[in-house]
Amino acid sequence: MQQSARSTLDAKVPAGRLQDKWDAYKDTVGLVSPANKRKRTILVIGTGLAGGSAAATLGALGYQVKSFCIQDSARRAHSIAAQGGINAAKNYPNDGDTIWRLYYDTIKGGDYRSREANVYRLAQVSGNIIDQAVAQGVPFAREYGGLLANRSFGGAQVSRTFYARGQTGQQLLLGAYQALSHQIAAGQVTMLPRREMLDLVVVDGHARGVITRNLVTGQLERHLGDAVLLSTGGYGNAYYLSTNAKNSNVTAAWRCYRRGAYFANPCFTQIHPTCIPVSGSYQSKLTLMSESLRNDGRVWVPKDSQDRRAPHRIPEEDRDYYLERRYPSFGNLVPRDVASRAAKKECDAGRGVGDTRLAVYLDFADAIGRLGQQAIRERYGNLFEMYERITGENPYEVPMRIYPAVHYTMGGLWVDYELQSTINGLFVLGEANFSDHGANRLGASALMQGLADGYFVIPFTLGAYLSGTRVDKQVTVDHDAFREAESSAQGRLLALLAVKGDKTVTEFHRELGRLLWNDVGMARTRAGLEEAIDSIAALREEFWGRVRILGENNTFNKDLEFAGRVADFMELGELMARDALARKESCGGHFREEYQTTEGEALRNDRDFAHVSAWEHTGSNSTPVHHQEALAFETVELTRRSYK
Amino acid sequence: MPPSAKSVLQAVASPVGRKVLTGLTGLGLVLFVIVHMLGNLTYLQGEDAYNLYAHKLAGYGVVLYALEVGLAAFFVLHAYIGISIWLRKRRARGGRYAKYRSARAPSRQTFASRTMIVSGLVLLVFLVLHLLHFKFGPGIGEGYVATVDGEQVRDLRRLMTEQFQSPLYAFGYPLVIILMGFHLRHGFWSALQSLSLTSPRLSRVLYPMGAVLGLIVGAGFILVPLWIYFSQFI
Amino acid sequence: MAERMTIHLSVWRQAGPDAPGRLVDYTVEDASEHMSFLELLDVLNEQLVGRNEEPVAFDSDCREGICGSCGVMVGGIAHGPQRRTAVCQLHVRTFSDGDRIVVEPFRARAFPLVKDLVVDRSAFDRIIAAGGYVSATTGGAPDANALPISKRAADEAMDYAACIGCGACVAACPNASASLFTAAKVVHLSLLPQGHVEADRRVMAMVDQMRQEGFGDCSNHAECEAVCPKGISIAGIARMRRAYVRAALR
Repeated sequence: MQQSARSTLDAKVPAGRLQDKWDAYKDTVGLVSPANKRKRTILVIGTGLAGGSAAATLGALGYQVKSFCIQDSARRAHSIAAQGGINAAKNYPNDGDTIWRLYYDTIKGGDYRSREANVYRLAQVSGNIIDQAVAQGVPFAREYGGLLANRSFGGAQVSRTFYARGQTGQQLLLGAYQALSHQIAAGQVTMLPRREMLDLVVVDGHARGVITRNLVTGQLERHLGDAVLLSTGGYGNAYYLSTNAKNSNVTAAWRCYRRGAYFANPCFTQIHPTCIPVSGSYQSKLTLMSESLRNDGRVWVPKDSQDRRAPHRIPEEDRDYYLERRYPSFGNLVPRDVASRAAKKECDAGRGVGDTRLAVYLDFADAIGRLGQQAIRERYGNLFEMYERITGENPYEVPMRIYPAVHYTMGGLWVDYELQSTINGLFVLGEANFSDHGANRLGASALMQGLADGYFVIPFTLGAYLSGTRVDKQVTVDHDAFREAESSAQGRLLALLAVKGDKTVTEFHRELGRLLWNDVGMARTRAGLEEAIDSIAALREEFWGRVRILGENNTFNKDLEFAGRVADFMELGELMARDALARKESCGGHFREEYQTTEGEALRNDRDFAHVSAWEHTGSNSTPVHHQEALAFETVELTRRSYK
Repeated sequence: MPPSAKSVLQAVASPVGRKVLTGLTGLGLVLFVIVHMLGNLTYLQGEDAYNLYAHKLAGYGVVLYALEVGLAAFFVLHAYIGISIWLRKRRARGGRYAKYRSARAPSRQTFASRTMIVSGLVLLVFLVLHLLHFKFGPGIGEGYVATVDGEQVRDLRRLMTEQFQSPLYAFGYPLVIILMGFHLRHGFWSALQSLSLTSPRLSRVLYPMGAVLGLIVGAGFILVPLWIYFSQFI
Repeated sequence: MAERMTIHLSVWRQAGPDAPGRLVDYTVEDASEHMSFLELLDVLNEQLVGRNEEPVAFDSDCREGICGSCGVMVGGIAHGPQRRTAVCQLHVRTFSDGDRIVVEPFRARAFPLVKDLVVDRSAFDRIIAAGGYVSATTGGAPDANALPISKRAADEAMDYAACIGCGACVAACPNASASLFTAAKVVHLSLLPQGHVEADRRVMAMVDQMRQEGFGDCSNHAECEAVCPKGISIAGIARMRRAYVRAALR
C-alpha cells in the first residue's frame, strides 16, 4: 500500500554560508520594473498576517493586487486571535540574544525537522517586522522610559518576545489590515470579502487564476492573475474541536494539492497544553489560554484515580505534580508537546478531573500565597476573567481545569526557499506552508513567520518569478482551464446539495474529529493509524451518501460552505494518518508510541527521517505518492531535546 | 494655508461640526435660562423689584437688542440642528427593533436623553407663545403702566400676575418647565461632551451636575407661577 | 453536573435583503448552562436541519471575542446583557430556565441585512480605508526604539486599538451612529507619534466617510460604551471632536 519515496525535492536553497544566503539571494535576484509591475495582477488568498501583509506590500510596490477573504472583512482573519507575542532577535534587553540564537532555538524547538536556510532567514528579518509594526502604529507594550518592553516566553532563556497586552495577534493584524486599507484606498488592491476559493486554475503548468464563490450570492467567479499567493492558514479544524476559528479550513490548500501542489508533513500538528476543557457534546470550539500561565501555575492530578474529592480537599500528599516529578529541571515549563502528552497520559490512566475526567488542574494557590492575589491579578487578570466567563468558576479560589487542544499545524503545502510550491507561480505563505517550524512550533513564532513571509520574503521571491517567467498574455478567463475548474467546483456544490441525506454536516465533522483526535492526535500507533485510514474512508463514503444540506446554491448558505470544507478535511485526514504512518519515529508534535525511550520520551530517528515528507496527489481513489526533501544540517548538531 | 470658506462650511456641516454647534448654542441657551430664571425670582422680592429689573434690562438698548438677536439666532440654530439630527437618526436606523433596551451604566441613555426631540419641540412651540404673551404682549399703550422711581414703565408684574392666576397657565407652564428640566438634564453634560470639555473623571462630576442644574432651574421657574396662583386664594 | 435548561427563542428570520422578515419562535430543550449563546444557536440549527427547516444564518468565527464577526441583539441589547462580552462569550448560564429571548440582527441603514441575523458591515472597512492607517510602506521603517513613546500614551492607544469592529456601538446607538468606532481608530493613531503626521487629514476624511455611509449623528447617549465588548470609552468621541475642530481650523 505504501509507496516508497520517489524523488528528492530541490528546495533551491542558495549556495554559500548560512548567514549570507539571503543577502546573496537578494543581491542577484531578478527585479520587475515599475512600468511592468503595473501590468501584473497578483491574486492573494486570505488576509491574515501573511496574506494581509503581502497584499499591502505588493500593492505599495505597484502591483495590481486582488485580495480575497472568507470573512466579511479582511480584519477578521484568525491571526487576530493570537495572544502571547512575537519573537524578534532585537536584543533590546541586552541579555545575549542574537539572530543565531533565535535561529538555533527555533530549529531545535522544531525538533530538527525544518529547513536551516528558511529558519535562518526568518530570524534575520525578525527585527524588521518589529520596526515595521511600530511604524504602522502598533501599540506594543512599553517600559516607563518609553522603550519597547520584552518578555521571556515559552521557557526561552532570553527576553525576545514583543507583545501588546494579550492581544498581540490582533494588533499586528490590524496593522497589516490598515496598510491593506491604505492600498485599497489608493486603488492598488481590490478587496473581495466573503469569497471562498474553490479551485486553482493551472494553465500550462503555471498557476494563473482561481475560482471563488461569492458567499452572499453563491455565484462562482473566475479571477485571472500572473501569480497566486495562498495564505489561508492551517488545517487544525480537521479535528473539529480546535482553537481555530469556525471558518478556518483547508479547502483552498487542498484544492491546490489536488491540482499538483505537494502537501508536506501533514502529520505535524501542534496540540497546545493550556486550553479550557470540553464541557459537553455541543462544544463548538476550544479556547486557548496563554501558556504564560505555566510560569506560576502548578499542574497536578490526584494520585488515586478513584479520588473524587473537590480539589481543595485533596491534601498535598495525595496530589501528583507530575510535570515537576518527571521533569525536575523544567517542571511546569516543559515545551508544549511534552506538557500535552503528559496530560493525556494522566487522563488515560483515569486520573483526569472534572465532569468529563478529561482535564488536569492548573493551580495558582501557591503563587497566590507567595505573591498575593493582586500580583497574580496583574499578571493574568484578563486570562482569569476569560476562564471564569467560560467556565463559571473563579480560578482565584478553585484551580483551573485545563486540557490540550489542537492549536496549530506545522505541516502545509510544500514550498521551496522562494515560498513557491511545486506548481509554478503558486506561492504559499504563513501557516498554510510547512516551512519554518519543523515538527513543533515554539511560542511567539507563528506571528513572526506570517509577517516575515508577507512583508519581507515574498516581495523579493515573487519578483524573481515574474522577471524570469514568460506569462502567456493570451490567456483570459474564457480559457478552457477556467471553464473546467469552474464546472468542477459547480459540480461539487451541486453534488453536495443533491445527496439530501439524513445527517448534518456537523455530525460528520464531529465524527471525523473524534477519529483524528483518537488515532492521529497526541499519541499514534501503527494499528491505530491503519484503522483510522479505513475509518475515514468509510466516513467519506457515508458522507457522500447521507449528508443533508438544506437551502440553495445561489444564496447565502453556511451549511453548504461547511459541507465542502468537511469533505476536504476528510480527504486531508486520511493523508495525515498516512503521513503519520510513514514517519516511523517520534519528533515534536508527532509521537509514535512504538518509538519512545524507556522513560516514555520521544525517540527521533535522524538517520532515516531527517527529511520533509511531501505528498503528491494522484487521483481521488489512488494512493498519493510520497516524495522527500532531505534535510541537510550544516550548522547545527542534532541533539536530543531533554527537559529532565 | 488658511482654510477656505467652503472647507469651513463643510466642517460645520459635518457630524462633528453639528454637534459642536449644538453644544455651543445649547450652553448659550443654558446661560440665558439661568439669567431669565434669576430675573423671574425678583418677582418675589417685593412690589417694584420685578418691574425695576425689567426696566433696567430695557435700558441697555442696543446692547440688549444685539443680545436678543444673538439669542434668537442661537435658538433657531439649536432647534434646526436638533431637528435635523433627529431626522437623520430616523433614516440611519432603518428597520425598527422588536425589542430594544439600554444596557444601563455606563450608558447615559435616559428618559431625558431619548426625549430631547420631544422636549425640544415643546419648548419651541412654548417659546413662540411665550414671546407673544410677554415680549410682544400688552404694554403701556394697553394700560399696563407702573411707576418705578417716578418713571412710567411697562407693568410686566401685572401682566405676569394676571396670566398665572389662570389655572391653565399656572399649571401648563410648570409642565413645560419640567420638560425643560429634562432637556437640561441630558443637554448640559451632552453639550460639554460635544465640545470635548469632558474626560471620564470630569464626567463623573459633570454628568450629575446636569441633573442638579435641571432641578434648580426648573424649580426656580416653577416657583413664581405657583406662588402667584395660590396667592390669589389667601 | 451541568444544569439543563429550556430556552425559548424568538429569532428574526429573513431570507434576503428584500424579503419580508419576522420573528419566529423556537424552543431549545435540554440546553446546558455551560453553552455559549452561539452554541445554543448551533444546537437549534442542528434541530432545524433535522426537521428539514433551513438553519438560522449568523456570522461567527473565532468564538473567543476578538475577531468581531459575531454580533446580534439578544433580549434587546447588542451582544446580550453581560458587560464587556461579545455574544460568542455570552453563556446560557446568564439566563434562567424558561426564559424567552428575542434575537435580532444589528439594525442600521449603513449595515444592510444579508440574511436572518447576518448584516453587511463593510461601511466600517470604508471608514478605515478613508484614513485609518499610517502611510508606512514596507521597508522604510526606522528602528523600533528610535522614538520613545511614553508608557501612558502607549497604554492609552492600546485601549482604543482594542476595538474589534463588531458594530455593536452602531446597533445599540439610538441614532445608529458610528462615532465610537471611528473615534477608536482616530484616537489610537493620534496618541502615537507615528500617527501625528497624518492626523488632520485622517480625522477629516474618516468623519466625512462616516457621514457618507449614512450613520446617524451622535447624541451622547453613551449606549455604545455600555455594549462595547472591549469597553471603549466615549471619551474617545470627545477626543475625536477636538482633533476634528483643530484640523478644521488649521
